[in-house]
Amino acid sequence: MLWLRRIGMRVRSIFGRHKLEAALDSELAFHMAEQKAEYLSRGMSEPEAERAVRLEFGNVTAMAEQCRDQRRTRWLEDLTADTKYAIRSLLHSPGFTWAAVATLALGAGVNVVFFSTAYGVLLRPLPYREPDRLVEIELGMGGVGPVTNLRSMAQRADYAGYSPKIEKTIRQNGEALRVETATATWNLSRVLGVPPSLGRWFEPGEEHANSPRTVVLSDHTWRERFAADPAIIGRQLLIDEEPHDVVGVMPPGFAFPSRETAMWLPIRIDPANRALMWSGPNLLPIGRLNQGVSLPSAQTELRLIVDRVRPLFPWRMPDVWGTSSTLVLHSQALVKDARPKLLALAMASFLLLIIACGNVANLLLTRCVLRAREFAVREALGAGRGRLLRMIAAENMVLVAAGAAAGLSISLVLVKALPLALGQLPRLDEVTVAPVAAAAAGGIMLLTFAVLSVAPAARRRPSSRFSLVLAVFQLSLTTALLIGASLLGRTLWQLASVDTGIHSHEILAASVSAGPSRCSSVERCVAFLEEVSSTLVGVPGIHGVSWSNGIPLTQKHSAMSVAVQDHPKEPGEPAFVLWHVAATPGYFGALGIPLRAGRFFTAADRAGGLPVVVISESTAKKFWPNESPIGKSIRPVSGNVWRTVIGVAGDVMHYSLDGYPSWIDGVQYVPHAQAPPVSSSAFQQSVFLECAGIDAALLQQSLRQRFPDVAITGLKSLQGVRAASVSNRRSTAWLMSLLAALALFLGIVGVYGTLSQRAEQRRPEVGIRMALGARPIEIGGVVLREAAVVGLVGSAIGVVAALGLTRFLRTLLFGISETDPIAYVAGPAILVTTALLAAALPALRASRLDPAKVLRSE
Amino acid sequence: MAKSSDLIQGTLDLLILKTVSLGPVHGWAIAKRIQQMSNEVLLVQQGSLYPALHRLEHQGWIQSETRETESGRVAKFYSLTRDGKKQLEKELGQWERLSGAIGLVVKHS
Repeated sequence: MLWLRRIGMRVRSIFGRHKLEAALDSELAFHMAEQKAEYLSRGMSEPEAERAVRLEFGNVTAMAEQCRDQRRTRWLEDLTADTKYAIRSLLHSPGFTWAAVATLALGAGVNVVFFSTAYGVLLRPLPYREPDRLVEIELGMGGVGPVTNLRSMAQRADYAGYSPKIEKTIRQNGEALRVETATATWNLSRVLGVPPSLGRWFEPGEEHANSPRTVVLSDHTWRERFAADPAIIGRQLLIDEEPHDVVGVMPPGFAFPSRETAMWLPIRIDPANRALMWSGPNLLPIGRLNQGVSLPSAQTELRLIVDRVRPLFPWRMPDVWGTSSTLVLHSQALVKDARPKLLALAMASFLLLIIACGNVANLLLTRCVLRAREFAVREALGAGRGRLLRMIAAENMVLVAAGAAAGLSISLVLVKALPLALGQLPRLDEVTVAPVAAAAAGGIMLLTFAVLSVAPAARRRPSSRFSLVLAVFQLSLTTALLIGASLLGRTLWQLASVDTGIHSHEILAASVSAGPSRCSSVERCVAFLEEVSSTLVGVPGIHGVSWSNGIPLTQKHSAMSVAVQDHPKEPGEPAFVLWHVAATPGYFGALGIPLRAGRFFTAADRAGGLPVVVISESTAKKFWPNESPIGKSIRPVSGNVWRTVIGVAGDVMHYSLDGYPSWIDGVQYVPHAQAPPVSSSAFQQSVFLECAGIDAALLQQSLRQRFPDVAITGLKSLQGVRAASVSNRRSTAWLMSLLAALALFLGIVGVYGTLSQRAEQRRPEVGIRMALGARPIEIGGVVLREAAVVGLVGSAIGVVAALGLTRFLRTLLFGISETDPIAYVAGPAILVTTALLAAALPALRASRLDPAKVLRSE
Repeated sequence: MAKSSDLIQGTLDLLILKTVSLGPVHGWAIAKRIQQMSNEVLLVQQGSLYPALHRLEHQGWIQSETRETESGRVAKFYSLTRDGKKQLEKELGQWERLSGAIGLVVKHS
């Protein structure tokens, strides 16, 4: 066991070092003694023998050193010694050390947090079995009929269906609670590969409309509402006034389709109800590719299935229906919107870390220049160039280690705060500091250091010119960040100046929900809405109540396929799609939507009256550019009632500030009374309250007194709704600005340090110049000129870098291009100005030098 | 400082292994014995001997123990390990091949 013996020797060399040293000393001493004894026996005198032995032995220390080298553990001993020395030397200059560690900690901490977030949201595997085989269908293909047919036809993948975010009311201990639920097909649990932790998932038979109703709870709901009682299985729960059997509980961490999903209900297939099957609730497909099936091959199959499903619709579907259905990986589709934002921020935090490293490298360089004398002494005493480099490297390692440790502790705090600042993103609440992100940050720091600090120190004479180069480098990265932040800032500005078409200030929007019996018929529904309205008007402060099917700018789709008079379509051609708003007569006045032609609704436009419709200005221009639209008619594709156009309203952005999706052809408003939300399931409508501001609890209370099952939620001013609709971009812009501000701060500190140091080095030169008659202003000018040159060169390089980097921001911008000239001027302008400000102090100091003093000190 | 270049490169290891194979022996005695056995031709310098001993020990070919000499002093005695025996045979073989080859060249020219 040769290797075992060798390892044993190595271990003894490390841990039994002192013993080995003693053995070595006594071994050599023994040899000398024996040799001496021999010489003495040959008749030499004591001093002669001693001298002969010494001569023979030569340098005993060097020999002992050679013996030690045989142990092959020198590197470790040297490393410990170097590290100890580095720590001692760093502690000798606490100011420098604190500044360096704090800068590195800031850079590393911020970087680790953004990297961890990007990793946690974008890269970390989803908590399902073999998540790389889960697929979604983008564009098209949805609904109970299409998805259940897809499920039975597909051979290459196992498709399930689900409808996310369905609010339901559960009754527990006499209290009504709104919870978010999802409906799902019986095979969803199988497709995701996650079985319930308690009880069972749905059975195939439970999808049928008249089978007994069942429900599966989330782990969170089970623990919070039912005290984690295992006997919950088999109990009944009242959901939307109907009893449901609890059959299972999902494991903790199961968050499909969203973390807020409190319970899952089976879909209800009722083949007799054609509307529900083919145009009803949007059942979304999710599939698992079968073993050995590739994405393209499943996509090919999907195309064929789409052609087989299209003729199954009870009405003629356009030939293009489903043709753009694309199979994508679920893991990618889930984070499609989060990706550009997180990548942009991760990139920015990466630049910040490099700037921080550059700053510390600059500090180190200054230290090298100051220690030139010390290094010269060391070299004279026999330290090789390599030995000195190793010493500097050890100092850097200690700094990186301290900075990384401090940065990691900062990131552990920040990682909890960042989700609050980032807003709505999928998987954000699961984000923790990822070891891989911490390793990446550490690697970046080491690499940057290797290039930035050891390289210049390796030169014979460290020069402050290199620190100018470093300053330019830092400033160029800072410029790139500033430009990025300016672009996002400009985007916010552009978004803020968008005219939504809503001109009203004192108005609140909210959702009202109620049990399913409230709107089961037109009469009941109309009566119910009137009662709620009158109750609300009775609340002090409210002087107007209007209803609609949705709140503008919440990105909730509300579209209707229609036939338009004068614009016939060939059979099979896709129908026109209009944004559909049902509104009470007060709606237009409350939201401040102007009338362009004709009239708005009145109380006379009720159910049973002439079916009427109001269209938007651009819709009128699109369909009837040269004539009055008043008196023309529009009909929903799925019905046969023609509505007469009675008015034209100003354009309103109902979908989002970016405008409508491309497939929307126009906007129509129909009287709420002629399209009441009659349904056998739970009631939900949007209400607009004209008031200056009101207590939500008071509102809730006055409603509850009369209607125990009614809940009013999400009370928000329309300005608040608008602000929330751009919160994603706003948080990105703020975070980017924060990173840019930190970078600017670090960059400017770097410039200040460099210029101060150079001014200090040039004291003798300045003294001579002044003695020869240079005016103080000229001396200050030299420093300022240097700052301006560094700033301008840095900006120029930064602009080029930004041109390459800002394409990461493209999807986050609005109303400007990624080469927006204002941003490209603003970023460098801020930078050069701050660089000049940073130079002001060293310039002032240089210009106030007393030449006599300087020359005398030479 | 004496270097091992006094001896043909690599032969010092062979000489030490051979000497040690005769029984546990300390450093001074190894040097002495090589000197005697070579009729005072081969003088092993201490500066080469001890690094070589330590190297061989760390390679696992010889092992050491501390014990008293006949004169009552404490010394480090080296002896051959099992792997050392194999190594010695290998080096002996190599040496014979090398010296034979050199002999052939020298005789014929």
